[in-house]
Amino acid sequence: MHGRIVAFCCERSAYPAADLAGRLGLHCPDSLRVIRVPCAGRVDVIHIMRAFETGASAVMVLGCEEGACHHITGNTRARERVRYSETLLKEIGITNRAVLMVNISPNAPHKFVRAVGEANKLVEDLREAK
Amino acid sequence: MVSDKVRDAMQHPRIRLLTGAVLRGLSGGPGDFRVEIVREPRYVDAERCIACGLCSEVCPTDPKAIYLPKPDAVPLVHVLDDRFCLRARGKNCELCQEVCPTEAIEFNRKRQEEDLNVGAIVVATGFEVFDAREKGSLGYGRYSNVLTGLDLEHMFRRKGELRLPGNDKEPESIAFIQCVGSRDEGHVYCSHVCCKYAMKLAALIRHQSLDTKVTIFYIDLQTAGKGFARFFDDYRGDIRFVRGVPVEILQTASGELEVKFEDISQGKVCRDTFDLVVLSVGISPRTDSWDLARILGIDMADDGFFDTATSVGSNDTGVGGIFLAGTCQGPKDIADSVAHGIGAASRVMELLGMPVQADG
Amino acid sequence: MSVNDMEVRTGVFICNCGQSMKNIDFDALAKKAASVPGVISVTLSSDLCLDEGMKRMISLIRDGSVNRVVIAACSPDSKEHIFRHVLETAGLNGNLLSVANIREQCAWAHKGDVTGKAEELVRMAADRARLLRPVERRELPVNPDVLVVGGGFSALSTALGLSAVGLRTTVLEREAIPGTGTGDKENLQGFDVGSVIAAAERDANIDILTSARIVAVEGVLGDYTVTISKDGAEISRRCGAIVLATGFRTQLAPGSDMPIDDQVASGARVVSQEQLVCMLNNSVLDARPRTVGFVFDLADDSSRYTTLATLNNALAVRARWGSEVYVICRDVKVDSEGAERMYQSARECGVVFLKCDSALKIAVDNGRIAVEARDVFLGEDIVVSCDLLVAEELPFAADGAEVLGSLSGVRMDSRGFYQDENVHLYPVGSDRKGVFCVGGCRGNPDIVRVLADVSSVVASICGLLSPGHIEADIEKVKVDPQKCVACLTCIRVCPHSAIQLMRVEDGKDAAVISDLACDACGVCAAICPAKAIEFEGYRDDEIAAQLEAIGEACMGG
Repeated sequence: MHGRIVAFCCERSAYPAADLAGRLGLHCPDSLRVIRVPCAGRVDVIHIMRAFETGASAVMVLGCEEGACHHITGNTRARERVRYSETLLKEIGITNRAVLMVNISPNAPHKFVRAVGEANKLVEDLREAK
Repeated sequence: MVSDKVRDAMQHPRIRLLTGAVLRGLSGGPGDFRVEIVREPRYVDAERCIACGLCSEVCPTDPKAIYLPKPDAVPLVHVLDDRFCLRARGKNCELCQEVCPTEAIEFNRKRQEEDLNVGAIVVATGFEVFDAREKGSLGYGRYSNVLTGLDLEHMFRRKGELRLPGNDKEPESIAFIQCVGSRDEGHVYCSHVCCKYAMKLAALIRHQSLDTKVTIFYIDLQTAGKGFARFFDDYRGDIRFVRGVPVEILQTASGELEVKFEDISQGKVCRDTFDLVVLSVGISPRTDSWDLARILGIDMADDGFFDTATSVGSNDTGVGGIFLAGTCQGPKDIADSVAHGIGAASRVMELLGMPVQADG
Repeated sequence: MSVNDMEVRTGVFICNCGQSMKNIDFDALAKKAASVPGVISVTLSSDLCLDEGMKRMISLIRDGSVNRVVIAACSPDSKEHIFRHVLETAGLNGNLLSVANIREQCAWAHKGDVTGKAEELVRMAADRARLLRPVERRELPVNPDVLVVGGGFSALSTALGLSAVGLRTTVLEREAIPGTGTGDKENLQGFDVGSVIAAAERDANIDILTSARIVAVEGVLGDYTVTISKDGAEISRRCGAIVLATGFRTQLAPGSDMPIDDQVASGARVVSQEQLVCMLNNSVLDARPRTVGFVFDLADDSSRYTTLATLNNALAVRARWGSEVYVICRDVKVDSEGAERMYQSARECGVVFLKCDSALKIAVDNGRIAVEARDVFLGEDIVVSCDLLVAEELPFAADGAEVLGSLSGVRMDSRGFYQDENVHLYPVGSDRKGVFCVGGCRGNPDIVRVLADVSSVVASICGLLSPGHIEADIEKVKVDPQKCVACLTCIRVCPHSAIQLMRVEDGKDAAVISDLACDACGVCAAICPAKAIEFEGYRDDEIAAQLEAIGEACMGG
């Protein structure tokens, strides 16, 4: 099992969406590892980088839709940190890793599955590019 | 969202949730009511079912007689529909019971009766969706590509995208018809939610495919309310709005739907064809409200919803100790239903008394 | 069995959900789990969430002196609360639980190496479990008194409602007389503001302070200290909750008004709905206008209040004056109770509704007011000549609402009204626990919704404060005062105003998180530059442990 996708999932949006996907029988790549967080805003650059350090090929941060974050700016902060992480990766010269921010609502299992599929495809493309 | 609330309620130590329960009799008064409840047999014990799905897998009927009502059902348990179940219809089949790992299925259940002693009663029986078949000329139930807004919502939830029921293709042109079962002779009210949900569905459709053309036929656009006006503005440019509600839909030989409407700006009757027509059905009072009203001794208003005694939209009925919450009192959107529901709680608190304790 | 033991003794409980998860090799999973550091027992079950399964878990925890629990089963969303209860029954703090979702997000989600993933998920949960610390839950005392800002209909109705459930209120009215700002808005909709004011003034539980304004708000839910400026002096009141009920005002829409000179010169008038009501109630009116025009919903969409006011007043004009009535609007906003019936009645008694879709032009013409707009149905411009025009009004929050909002920690929405905590689920709440907004000030000026807000907030506050205490997690998110450099970042960033700077020890100032107000989001923990904030259950080391568990499996293959 190569190419782990580590997904930090907000407990109000992405986590229930992932559960719903499972109940509907929608499959996604088995390289997915979900870490549940109370808000996407809990995720900091250091966690994203640690995920890569420990071997993840892609890191996803999933939070509520714009304007729907219960903690108001948790999802926007997460997005900024994802962007900053992208910059950091470039500066360090790492080109075969991907970090993504996804906004999602709790009743969007199909969107969850699609997002993970896209991350997986990114990982495969990056591996091939090598 | 609803699932979260139901789950919170189920986990609350002072809330007891009785399913399959119907009120059959009432006596007493505010502060001291005696309520007679009848519970229909629930073949699947909600406390033992772990939603593993083995029963559904082995059920031989089509559609399945035992199933999970929806993937985010709360409680997350299976239900048995005795209209389809072979065993319930006297045949010899116990496959689900045999395979159930927690012995949650029991066929020989009887109806149970229970009396409750309570201080206050809140009626929160909700509404029925307007049955679009009542407007026969709109073709619902006759043409497979005429759907209600609710059908479309279900499709998005189950499939994640929109496909024509007839041939599973993506529709190229869609018409929404507003006020189906609202603002008409039998329903002198606006249902509050249809313009909003139609716009939401239209936005989902446009998100799926920018090539799909959406037309909305309406009387007055209900765009008031927090954030909705901005939402409408964002999508107004993408959608064709036609003022005037169609009265007839016919299916052409090629399977398209021909909508006949009066184009007021042109001053004549026009016909447009669409692949899919969505009827924005409204909120109707439940037809069984009358029975409940009779048992409780509360009044019905002209439009079939429960009547409020004091002011418009209040929680009070004419009977002390019995309060109304939500759409059973009249159409409301989510925020208004929640506010009304919490309001009913405040009436109960006032009646039953809330001892105030100040610590220090 | 002490959780302060340095020795971690983790019990792993694996459930196969009635043996329905056929694609996981549970024997292999159990074997792998047993090899994880800290794990002292692995139990395989088929019914962990049912009575029998739970009883077994409880005795296994007790007998085995287990002090950390890992459960590998269905989603924590559905069963975590049940399992926490099991831990507590067994004598363990409910936070010493770590759940691995091997059903919805594993067995049901994939086709490939599901057992391998399950093994990793259990490893992640177990490594996290080793680091878990207990979090106590306690009842914290709260002040049951309430402060209501505003002295109009919604404010005083709220105070009366709170009094009816036994709570005491201080009402702050910034003018000299309560109800000054209300005007005739509620009277317009059939409610008698005067009687509400009189009832509030008589009520022993209500203390109305006039000429009073808020200067500062400190504290948290259950313990607010509000500084008030009254008659030039500053006083302070303590309360457990604050309600903003400052109402709304209206302003004639731009372009709807006409210079007063033109009005006087022509003899025709442009008025507001309230001014019209005055005229209607004035029986000594010289000349009844022959034609009355109403305009609404052209400049702005949020016209529920103006729709209702127009319908009410149009009917009144027809009944009392018999004037011709024309209503120019884009859409009638009838999503309020009774509105459609009023609309029908208005049309039945001769009110003419002209649906128009463009900006209005108002001019004086031959001593009358000419209103020009494009009629949607005719498809052409029309001109309506009237003697009295009731112009379009836009609703706004009362003056100073934004300042009050920032003092109270409440945001404004895009239209300048108070932003709800959750537009659907908790309409009267704000982002700050214990601060509520009702009625016109949050953008709901129509009477039915105002009343619903009032009873809603009464129930919410009663439920929160009446018991005299609120249960809260103690120090679930905590600032280490030794590491804190008082940079104020967390205080500024906390979405719930739950953090304050306080003198902690040895004259040192540090950030302190209120257990009552904290909503456990972790935004502060993420942003603290000194890493001084620990969020139990989601600490940096707990997250790192999960990442390392994934990494090890990744490397190990």
